[in-house]
Amino acid sequence: MDPVKITIDGKEVITSKGKTVIQVADELGIAIPRYCYHPKLSIAGNCRMCLVEIEKMPKLQIACNTQVAEGMSVLTQSPKVLAVRKAVLEFLLINHPVDCPICDQAGECWLQDYYMEHDRQASRFDVGKVHDRKKTIFGPNIVFDGERCIKCTRCVRFCQEITKTNELTVINRSDHSTIALFEDSVLDNPLSANVVDICPVGALTDRDFRFKVRVWYLQKTPSICPGCSTGCNISVESYQNRIARFKPRINEAVNSHWICDEGRYCFHDLAGGERLTTPLVRQEGGLVAATWEQALQAVYSGLKGSSSLAAILSGRNTNEEAYLFARLMKKLRADAALEVFYQERQLSEVEKILVSPDRSPNFRGARDMGVGSSDGFDGLLRLLLAGDFAAAFIVGEDLTKAADPATVRAALQKLSFLVVQDTRVTETSKLAHVVLPAMHFGEKEGTYTNRKGRLQKLNAALIAPEGALPDSEIFAGLLELAGEKNGYGTPGQIFAALAREIPAYSKLTYDAIGAQGIELDSGGRAAS
Amino acid sequence: MTKILLRNIDVPDFHRLVTYESAGGYRSWRRVVENMKPAELIEEVKASGLRGRGGAGFPTGMKWSFVPKDSPKPKYLVCNADESEPGTFKDRLLIERDPHAVLEGTLIAAYAIQSHTAFIYVRGELAFGTTRLEQAVAETYQAGLIGKNIFGSGYDLDVIVHRGAGAYICGEETALLSSLEGSRGWPKLKPPFPATHGLFGCPTVVNNVETLAALPWILDRGAPAYAALGTEKSKGTKLFSVSGHIAKPGVYELEMGYPFKKFLEEDCGGVPNGKKLKGVIPGGSSMPVLRPEEIENVNLDYESVQAAGSLLGSGGVIVMDETTCMVRAAWNIARFYAHESCGQCSPCREGCHWMEKIFHRIEHGEGEPADLDLILNISSNIMGNTICPFGDAAAMPAAAFIKKFRDEFDAHIAEKRCTLAN
Repeated sequence: MDPVKITIDGKEVITSKGKTVIQVADELGIAIPRYCYHPKLSIAGNCRMCLVEIEKMPKLQIACNTQVAEGMSVLTQSPKVLAVRKAVLEFLLINHPVDCPICDQAGECWLQDYYMEHDRQASRFDVGKVHDRKKTIFGPNIVFDGERCIKCTRCVRFCQEITKTNELTVINRSDHSTIALFEDSVLDNPLSANVVDICPVGALTDRDFRFKVRVWYLQKTPSICPGCSTGCNISVESYQNRIARFKPRINEAVNSHWICDEGRYCFHDLAGGERLTTPLVRQEGGLVAATWEQALQAVYSGLKGSSSLAAILSGRNTNEEAYLFARLMKKLRADAALEVFYQERQLSEVEKILVSPDRSPNFRGARDMGVGSSDGFDGLLRLLLAGDFAAAFIVGEDLTKAADPATVRAALQKLSFLVVQDTRVTETSKLAHVVLPAMHFGEKEGTYTNRKGRLQKLNAALIAPEGALPDSEIFAGLLELAGEKNGYGTPGQIFAALAREIPAYSKLTYDAIGAQGIELDSGGRAAS
Repeated sequence: MTKILLRNIDVPDFHRLVTYESAGGYRSWRRVVENMKPAELIEEVKASGLRGRGGAGFPTGMKWSFVPKDSPKPKYLVCNADESEPGTFKDRLLIERDPHAVLEGTLIAAYAIQSHTAFIYVRGELAFGTTRLEQAVAETYQAGLIGKNIFGSGYDLDVIVHRGAGAYICGEETALLSSLEGSRGWPKLKPPFPATHGLFGCPTVVNNVETLAALPWILDRGAPAYAALGTEKSKGTKLFSVSGHIAKPGVYELEMGYPFKKFLEEDCGGVPNGKKLKGVIPGGSSMPVLRPEEIENVNLDYESVQAAGSLLGSGGVIVMDETTCMVRAAWNIARFYAHESCGQCSPCREGCHWMEKIFHRIEHGEGEPADLDLILNISSNIMGNTICPFGDAAAMPAAAFIKKFRDEFDAHIAEKRCTLAN
């Protein structure tokens, strides 16, 4: 790239040819307000919020469409620039309903934020606002409020350029311009809800999140989407110890700015429902509550005494859990058949932008930890269904959903000993001899290795219900019964142990993973 | 006075190829294709001093020269026949009465940039004119004047007449291109400019009807003959559409630099019925209105009108006599722009209607003293801050009416009614 020297607000910088003023300003941390500009979308230049002064140019120029040139001098804080920001904000607000008290965007609204920063004047508009549709359903996840819309067209461009599904357009003219669906179309593509994230105002809101909680009450925990093995970086946003929504976190090495709808809403299934909070042991007549001590002892003796053992780990278990699981199973029976749950499905073209064909975010990490066999999960499942095993330990998956339920049920019933470790009662757990209440992805810390070999960190967003234990603690307890007292307390300590043992992880440390993750083959250096 | 554009306008059946050719039509086209290199043609037009007649007055030859010669992409020439500026009806006359001159100019311009497809984008409302152009194109195809291997030169050129859907904004050249591409008639961001990234992202020149119609004459008589007319910087002749309170409204062709006052009073017969002139818009509704005393020494050329505080624009002269309510006139113009704003960028989309609503309130006796400064402020907040010149086109007249006829606005607000004798 050819170097170009420019000056921004008196500060000289060397940048490269082809960059725009707004890109250079962003790199320098100079805030230029914007609505329509989005780094992943084409330049629309319509909001006029990013107008800046450029020496020797008679008119103000939009920073998003102005390429840097040698010797260019840019002013982002001059009186002219500040005046035009105020003017543009006023234009954007005159027909805006200012219904912040009932708007979900309030608290993370770019109109609110920029108003406080650049406008702060009483309205001079008293000649009747234009009215528009307040709650038009755009799709299963999206509702549109035309009065709040500023026509930045980010949503339109997203559907044109990212998903290429073209559901949205602008209709009508002048101050009656509005966003609309094309005839006979519905905004229901697999990435549709990203338009809510990129909408800078309250025009597009998430039907799932709508009216649930004011955003300033949300607790935001950086984590990894448990939906599939793409490993999209997310923020788990919770309120009163319940997940309210997932939002994407930007990670150019993984998911850029996006997450898929399936991932976005998967927490309902994974973290919802009534929890198991006490271990259960099968007695005459059914499963009855037991202490952890009794339950672990029952598991240990039951598995130890079995003639053959199938051990199936959930694809949502962390590396640390998988490491302990593999150690435990091999300790119990050296010939135990280990597998991580993994099933593929067909993906549509739009899904392929982001989605992986599985629902096992950490299948690769689990295999790295030794949870794997030569025939894969399907092979093990076939053997299990054929009655090849006497005992089984199933973690976090309802196997009746993985194959014909009747066949699965019949096979599991024939087992002499079945342990199910899960967060909820499932069709599988109902058949178990011992049920161990565990924690889900939102309640624990640890690492996932995504499909492409990027190690990323999961953080606990919620407090688990009393009675449930982290999977790692359960495995450690059983290992102790089996005679291995290792004293690992935290996921970080377990990670240090697995890094000593697993070559691919040997150069990595838990603390080096950071918010953006780290490639397994990076030699331990975090990507910039 | 030398007539170039209107020299044949009253000849019966001049829209037919046979009539047009008998008056020397397509002689220039043949000479250009057979004897001229594109670069020579561009130089010739540069030397003539011809400037764009759509309103901006940009030198035509220079506009052509911006088209990259080595681009592997197809190049397009587009004739802008989307005449829609209120008070302007000169292109319509040429299209309906001398369509072959428009077409021949289009062909010459296409050759200059070596385009093999030319479009004539006609305003939706000009149904009759579209028919005339389509007939003209059909006749030239039949006569072998366009199509494949023209005059055995190996040069191919097709012409497509496209009728718009009737949106004012589509007269703006990049909105026209969006519309021609089949998209919403939204202006495009500049840069990149049409000369490099125009129609379908290819190098494109958009020229106005009147500009193109002057080309056959210029090529026939030579650049010096054209450059000999007019002033130092505004060469040749220009059409003026005169409407409003004037004895003889119509389309006039004047040599650039013609005295404005003399034109109105002598050529157009002055303000009728013994009334006095109150104001005149020289270049179509988007240009600032001038008071009678402001046109005393103004000549009709780009520089002189600009020095007087307005712009020559499209040459749409709107005359208003003393009975005209300037508040109502300003509201009427504001209403037009509020209706026609494409809605793409914030200041124009929101500001045009805001101004219109305030003008409406003043006109209807509900104005407040602060309204005038508010409109001036809104106008200046729009000016220069929009994607395309439409914002300026809406802002300029609004501010000019208030600044130049403030007394009348004040009276309207104070009396809560129109104070003119009625």
